[in-house]
Formats: sequence, C-alpha cells, structure tokens
Amino acid sequence: MTTITLRNLRKEFDDVVAVNGLDLTVRDGEFLVVVGPSGCGKSTTLRLLAGLETATDGEIRMDDRDVTGTEPKDRNVAMVFQNYALYPHMTGRRNVTFGMNAGGSFTDEEINRRVAEAAETLDITDLLDRKPQAMSGGERQRVALGRAIVRDPDAFLMDEPLSNLDAKLRIQMRAELTQLHAELGTTTVYVTHDQTEAMTLGERVVVMDDGRIQQVDPPQSLYDFPANRFVAEFIGDPAMNMIDVAVEEGVAVHDAFRIPLPAGNAADETGSGSETESLADPDAGDRSHAVLGVRPEDLHLARERPDLGETEFDATVDVTEPLGDSLLVHCSVGDATFKMSAEPRSSLDPGGTVSVTYDSERLHLFEPETGEAFYHSATAPAPSDRIERVVTD
Amino acid sequence: MSTREIFDGRLEAALLLAPTAIVSLVFLYYPTALAFRTSFFDSGFGRVPEFVGLENYASLLGNPEYHSSVLLSVIFAAIVVVGVISVSLYLTFLIHEVDAGQGWYLISVIWPYALPPAVGALVFLFIFHPTLGVLTGPIEALGIELDWFNDGPQAFVVVALAAIWKQIGYNVIFMIAAMKNIPDALTETAELDGVGRLRRLVSVYVPIMTPTLFFLVIIDTIYAFFGTFAFVDLLTSGGPSNATNVLIFDLYREAFSFFNFGTASAKSVVLFLVVAALMAVQFRLTEEYSYYGA
Repeated sequence: MTTITLRNLRKEFDDVVAVNGLDLTVRDGEFLVVVGPSGCGKSTTLRLLAGLETATDGEIRMDDRDVTGTEPKDRNVAMVFQNYALYPHMTGRRNVTFGMNAGGSFTDEEINRRVAEAAETLDITDLLDRKPQAMSGGERQRVALGRAIVRDPDAFLMDEPLSNLDAKLRIQMRAELTQLHAELGTTTVYVTHDQTEAMTLGERVVVMDDGRIQQVDPPQSLYDFPANRFVAEFIGDPAMNMIDVAVEEGVAVHDAFRIPLPAGNAADETGSGSETESLADPDAGDRSHAVLGVRPEDLHLARERPDLGETEFDATVDVTEPLGDSLLVHCSVGDATFKMSAEPRSSLDPGGTVSVTYDSERLHLFEPETGEAFYHSATAPAPSDRIERVVTD
Repeated sequence: MSTREIFDGRLEAALLLAPTAIVSLVFLYYPTALAFRTSFFDSGFGRVPEFVGLENYASLLGNPEYHSSVLLSVIFAAIVVVGVISVSLYLTFLIHEVDAGQGWYLISVIWPYALPPAVGALVFLFIFHPTLGVLTGPIEALGIELDWFNDGPQAFVVVALAAIWKQIGYNVIFMIAAMKNIPDALTETAELDGVGRLRRLVSVYVPIMTPTLFFLVIIDTIYAFFGTFAFVDLLTSGGPSNATNVLIFDLYREAFSFFNFGTASAKSVVLFLVVAALMAVQFRLTEEYSYYGA
C-alpha cells in the first residue's frame, strides 16, 4: 500500500529529453494507466519509478520515503515486462521463487506458502514444474505476474504486459488483471500504447506526449472532456473529427455550415500542470480561428436521428466502411473532411449527398495554435477526484 | 541470371573445392595417416625404418616418465581450461557491466590473443623473468621468491598463467557476444528482486550462456593440449626436471631432438586418443547440461 508522488521528474538521454518535468500522484491502491504514443516517455517514467533509470532531476517519493536515488532492490516494487522476462532455464516455480531466495529475507516455509497462494490466485499450479519454453504466451505472462505478486511489493509496475499476446487472450487477461487488482488492492502503474487497454483498465488514465503529461483523469472524463487536441485525437477510435471554424456570437461558422454552440460551458482546467485560468464562454468573445472537435459517433444521419433537432447540414459521402456494429462514413463538406457513424445497414452511395446532424451536447472547441480545449458543450461533472487534484495542485 | 545458376557443372564445383581439399589432404590427412603408420616402425634419422608392430606402444606403456608426462598434461589442460573460462567469464562480466570505455577494456583484454604464440611467450618472459621481469619486483614484494627457472612447480604455474593469459581474448570475444544476447529485462528483473551481481552471473547468465561455454571448453581443451607448445618451448623447454614437459613438447623433443620418429609418432597417436576421449566426454556433457533456449 503506497502512494507514489512524482515532482518535476525529468530524464534526459544525451540531448533527448524523454521525460520533461512530470508532476503526478499515484494514490494508494490505485490502478493508474499511463498511455501515449511510442517515444512519449511513458516507459521511461515507469523505469524511473522502478529505479532502472536514474532521474536527471526531480523527485520520486513512495509514501514518505524519497526513493529518487534508491537502488531498485530497495524500492520494494515488482515489475512485469512486455516480454515476460522469465528466466528461460528455470521452471515456473524457480522463476517465482528465485528473487525471494536470492533476497534472503524469506524462510522456506514462507516461500512455499506464498507460492501456493499466488499459484492459486493466478491458476498456475500446473505450470510451476514447466519451463517457460513449454508454456504459451498467456501462461508465461501469468507466471510473470505470479513472480510479481509473490513478493507482496508496495507497487506493481507493468510495462505493456499484454502487448505480446493475441487479441483474444489480451481481452481475457485484461479482465483478469482488473480482478487481480480488486483482490490485492496494490498500487499499480500500468504503461500501454493501446488506448482501449488504458480506458478499460485504468481507474485514472495519464495521457503522455513528448515527455509531458497531457491529462490525468478517469477514463470517461478523458473521453468526454479532453484537455487538448492531442488527448481528443489519441483517445477514441476512430479519432475525433477536427474541423477549422470561426466562432461568431456563439456559433461555430464554417463555409458550408453553422453550428450553434450551447451557451455557457467553458472548459475547466482539465490539463495537468497548466495553470487554472478562467476561460471565456464562446459567446463572450468571437474568434476568427478555432478547431471544432466532434467524435464520429456524435454525428448522425439526420434521417436516423430526428430527435436531435433541426440543425443539419449537407455533406458528400466519400467512402463507407462497414464495421459490423456500425457503418463508418467518410464525408466531406466544403474543404473539410470528417468521419461519422451511421446505422450498420444504412445504404449510402459514395458521391451521394446526405443530411448530417449532431449531438449538440458533445461539441468541443480547441485553440488552433496551442491545441488547448477552451470549450466543451456538455457540463463537466466535478467528480471528487478532480476537485481534489485541483486543490492539491 | 539467378544466383542458383552460377555453377553449371560438377567440374566447376570440384575446381572450387579443390584448394581446400588439396590443402587438407596434403597437410592434414596424409601426415595423420603417415604418423599412424610410422608409429608401427622403428624409424629414425638416417636409419632404415623397421616394422616393429606394437613395440613402440608397449615401451610407452612401461615408461614411467611418459606416464607422468600424460598426467602432467591432463592436469595442465584442466588448470588452463578452468582458468581461461573462469577468468574470461569474470572479465566479460565486468566489461558487460561497465558503462564507460567498454571498447577500450575489450581491446586491452583481447590484444594478447592477437599476438603470435611465440611473441606472446616472449612478452610474458619480459613480464615474469625471475630477475629482469617487469612484475617480478612487485610480486617479490609480496613475499614470493620468483625462481621459476629452477623451481618446477613455479615453472608449471608460470607456463599455465601464460597459456591462460594468451587465450582469454578469444574466450571474451565469444562470451561478450553471448552475454549481450541475454535480454536486458532478465537483468532488470534480477536487480529488482535484489539478486546480487555474482549470483546473477552464476545463476542467470551462465546457464543461458552454456552453449557458448561448452563450445569454448572444447576449443580451450584442444588449445591446452596442442596450442601451448610455444610457451613451454620458449619459457622452460620442458624443465626444470620435466616439470613442464607436457605431451606436445615431449613428442616434439622425441622426434626432433632425439630423432626417434617411431616413438614420437606413437606418442602423437596417444595424444590424439587422449584428446579424443576428453572430447567425447565433453560432448556427452554438452548434450546433458546445455540449455538451448526457445
């Protein structure tokens, strides 16, 4: 049970800045997922937590201990690697117990008891006498998890542990990880590049890009109230549509359409590390340039959703992609292109014109230069953790 | 033209193989067969060879000096192989672990291997000469009287050290490659688990490196029996009082100092059989203990 605090954490490799001033608190018992594209610094952050890399600057605290310069073995954390990192010449049991034996702080009885417990929890009793060669990917990953939990560490650090598994097994292991975390309640930091994994696993999700935290929030808040363009486009598949517009008197204006913006819901401070500032309502100030963000699933064919009101505009169908549960339609309107989802069996011909409507509760506006969100049409709920975070910052 | 069609006939293939085949036949297989044949003759410089059957072997069987030479060679080989492997392994580990100047350490460890054996022996003589050696002073300061021109056991140790020193580079080249192949995640897992450095080397690295290590044991064994001639010849000439008279030097002396070609050939056949027997044992062990990973 540990709270991990990072303060202004920085890591440079020669002239490359991998992690650029991270401030983050991982709460006691939390399942925190760090997600971002390749090279965003997420793995480096995890390795800094583990002590496998030395911080260039900043501070890492575990509860009240400053562990910034502490050796990995003295941090009492367990790491699970993408390639499992099982010792190939040892049986499952030896793999699980090797660290405990070598550490020398456990009696044989204690080790046996813990191995038996862990084996039961993870259902790996049958694997203990096999070598990794004779295990499937999923089995190896389970043994690797067994090795991590058997030491009862203060925190689990997981570096893309499911990336080497096939799609079906990944989904199964995802559920098992959630269950395991519920059982053990150990603070967990989980790194992935897969936004679906981040959304499904994390109690809170950290989105990173370019060595910096872009946003820290529970999955749904991240999805509904992205702090900036990067988060908006990274979270969600297919990605959010971005259309250049102007804002005039509370209306998003494009050559081909005008979308009235429901009044009065300026984006609150959702980014991490940036200063809290009072953002103006869209109708408080006109802007000649803004970026309108709408998720494909919030755009509809007008004939399919008459309940959404009368504001509609015409667009040309470019391509359709049947996804099974929906039909993804690539459209263009004026110089802008966007994607929208339609009923799976809608018949749409490329080149034809359709009438498009949208969910007015699900609109976002971003600064064209900085990419910061300055408007969400839905009212942001203020869950306790968000308030708490703003206060503690 | 596809690459498959480069050789358009058996003749061309035979021509390409010929240089290797001829060199092997003339310098390897023919002398081997000839040595085997000569071992059944009483043959010497200026004498007409006389067929004596197994008499040369019988006389070796009854020669206590030769027995001690066989024993000496086996002990010498064991010390050299164990010494080379363990010193090379530890040096490799240190080089693998060090952050700065890895290339320089590697070069300094490998360079003795780049020397011809005779030059290596002379360099070693300069280092350890009982009166003039560079390291003689420091060693004698530790209270050890260096007198290996007269002291048999010391001479044995010096030749063994020279043989080990010369062969380390070769071993390190293979070991560093094998060690670098071990996934970093294993090292990191061990670090997180608080596994000590030496424990990590012995329990994690060595088992994974076994295929390379067994290969090196075989090569080093052959080296210890056959490749150390120059050190014995230049440092001690088999002395003092046969303390370093290993088989390869003994049979050389038999042939080219005493000109008993028949006996020398019998000795070389015995040496061949001894090494072959050791190889057989080592290959059995390789099968049993080597880990060939997935």
